[in-house]
Amino acid sequence: MSGRRGGNTIRGPRSALTDFLAANNISAQQIRDDYQRRRQEGEEDAGEGASAQAPQQDDDEALAVAAQAEEDEKQTKKRKRNEKDAIDKIKKAKASKGGKGKKKAKRGDPDLDDDDGEEYEDEFNKKARPAPGQFEHCEVCSKRFTVTPYSKEGSDGGLLCTPCGKEFTKDLKKEQKAAQKQPVSRKRRKMESEKLDGVAAGGAKSLVQLCINRIAQHHDDVEELGDLPENLLDRLSAIFSKKRVMKSKTLPLFLRPDLDAVIVHDAAYLEEEDYQQIFAVCPNMRKLALSNTCQFKDASVDYMLERCHNLQHIQLYAANLVTEEMWHRLFQEAGSKLHTIKLKWLDAAFEDDVVAEMAECCPDLERLKLKLCRRLGEPAVEHIATMKNLKHLSLQIGNSVSNDTLIDLVTKRGSKLSTLSLDKFIDADNEVLQAIHDNCKRLSKLRFSENDTVSDAGFAALFTNWSNPPLTFVDVNSTRDVDNNNPTGPEEVIGVGSSGFKALMAHSGPALKHLDVASCRFIELSAFIDVFNGAQTYPALEYINISFCNKVDTSVTAGIFKSCPSLKQLVAFGCFDVQDVVVPRSIALIGVPRAQDAIEQFGVGIGVEEAIGRMVEVGA
Amino acid sequence: MNDLTEYVTLISSDDFSYVVLRSTACISPIIRRMLDPSNGFMEASTNTVHFDNINGIVLEKVCEYFYYNEKNKDAKDVADPEYASTLLIMVRKLISVSFPTELCLELLMAADYLDV
Repeated sequence: MSGRRGGNTIRGPRSALTDFLAANNISAQQIRDDYQRRRQEGEEDAGEGASAQAPQQDDDEALAVAAQAEEDEKQTKKRKRNEKDAIDKIKKAKASKGGKGKKKAKRGDPDLDDDDGEEYEDEFNKKARPAPGQFEHCEVCSKRFTVTPYSKEGSDGGLLCTPCGKEFTKDLKKEQKAAQKQPVSRKRRKMESEKLDGVAAGGAKSLVQLCINRIAQHHDDVEELGDLPENLLDRLSAIFSKKRVMKSKTLPLFLRPDLDAVIVHDAAYLEEEDYQQIFAVCPNMRKLALSNTCQFKDASVDYMLERCHNLQHIQLYAANLVTEEMWHRLFQEAGSKLHTIKLKWLDAAFEDDVVAEMAECCPDLERLKLKLCRRLGEPAVEHIATMKNLKHLSLQIGNSVSNDTLIDLVTKRGSKLSTLSLDKFIDADNEVLQAIHDNCKRLSKLRFSENDTVSDAGFAALFTNWSNPPLTFVDVNSTRDVDNNNPTGPEEVIGVGSSGFKALMAHSGPALKHLDVASCRFIELSAFIDVFNGAQTYPALEYINISFCNKVDTSVTAGIFKSCPSLKQLVAFGCFDVQDVVVPRSIALIGVPRAQDAIEQFGVGIGVEEAIGRMVEVGA
Repeated sequence: MNDLTEYVTLISSDDFSYVVLRSTACISPIIRRMLDPSNGFMEASTNTVHFDNINGIVLEKVCEYFYYNEKNKDAKDVADPEYASTLLIMVRKLISVSFPTELCLELLMAADYLDV
């Protein structure tokens, strides 16, 4: 860098202007002084500073110098103007990009003589923005930095160094985002999704829900959850899992020494240390429910057995890294106290002899759910049949299980069972149902789904003259004959058909809360109309799923609305004859298709009578 | 008292009182039961409920929420309050309730207690 002349006005690399002035013996300081003087003298002539006043020098010299100075001044003015224009352009470009909304008045190319003074006035009134390449002090941190065309302007008009500039734009963007309105379509979708989840049934959201949403939104900033009651803690952990923020950092929020149960709905991000932490902080827990526990390994099980001696309920979904020996050890050591075992999605380990071990070591077992455990087969069912205290049994076993084994199971255990769920036992036949009929006297929840062997007559026989009190939960979805060559089904109806359905409703109607007959497509329209005829009421029924029963039409829906005063949700995907439904208050109708309709329609504050009345008018 | 007053008073733990419409306060089933004369609670006779576990700031937000809720009771499509752009505090025209995040946890406990 070349040496600087006396003054301190220009810092940094010497500009061409400085060189020029210096070469022509012109003092920029002097010019400035003259100008100030001029401004004070001739106020608002917009100081036609074009004609420079003579500096205080000899006349001749003065004239010469003045002439020269004038010329130079013009040139410097021009240069300054060009520079200023360039800077203005940069500023304008920044203003439109940066979004602060500062509207700089568009300054067109000023006439050479006219607006000079004004510009100069404005320019000199505020501190000139240094040209790119020069040094400037940062407004925020006062560090010296080189001005570039990309240097950001701070909130007071000064310039910011690069790091401060970055911070500034980041803050700016955040502000903008927060102030921006979300697009309408996304809001509606979100609302509809929440309604499907059962979160908001119309009207305003509950305050609890609002708070939970806000906490989930700011999950990063939450340090501690204080003394929240367990049900709120559970809801919060469910939302965290849903938003996939249940990680090592947020897990401790949900762990307290006094907790009775630890429930993590999505433990996919948790690793070994996190499991150690769970068992270390909550050694007195009685219930452990971990879903998606992919990283749950032998070491963690070992630690759990060491620390937690009160475990009564275990639910581990997808714990695929636990080895066979570990399962054996788990049941051997902790089995005596266990009341509940729920295991799903075990592909790599968990064979039939572990089930044997379980049967032996867990005499008090009351609840057992084994679904999607690939290695289990018929022997497992045989072992289960020996568990004397079972009250709730839920099985889905992929390998084939013979009917005799199933019948044996039901015969032995049926009398104590209050929940029986046999999912995807494709070859189970009428005799199994007969066994249920004969042995189960206190069932309240029955699922018998995805089967294409049992006939309609079999179902009818089950529900007729059955000494079991009315069921509260029935799920017989997808019980139908599946044959592409024979879409209308065989002569003798397979799966739940008209007579089966009528018998079912006749038996359990009074107490039924949850009814699922999805994909039972051989139930005739007449059966539906008979069952939901408006005169007969089903007082407890809250959820009905009649998806893909394509014989259903609008009159059935009307009948359902009339017959089920407590109805909350009606799911009817694939029912193409249901059209123009008017939904009464507080009922959610899901899945009725018309391309232009919403997937869900919600009751809009009208009563059932009125809704039906309107539908009849439309239909008539 | 024989007839029900239109307004009731809710008092916080730090002695701030909020006078609100009875219909709005009764959105909370807990308050409704407390104010129901047939239950014979003291609150019913004085039309005042004292909350020892809810402080003034939180109770104020709860009252705002009562009005917001009643106003939007039958609406199908209620905008999420976080997205509402203005907060009008005129009682009759309350269209949204927004609250600072710091208040969130205490508000959650109060909301759970009041079952609202």
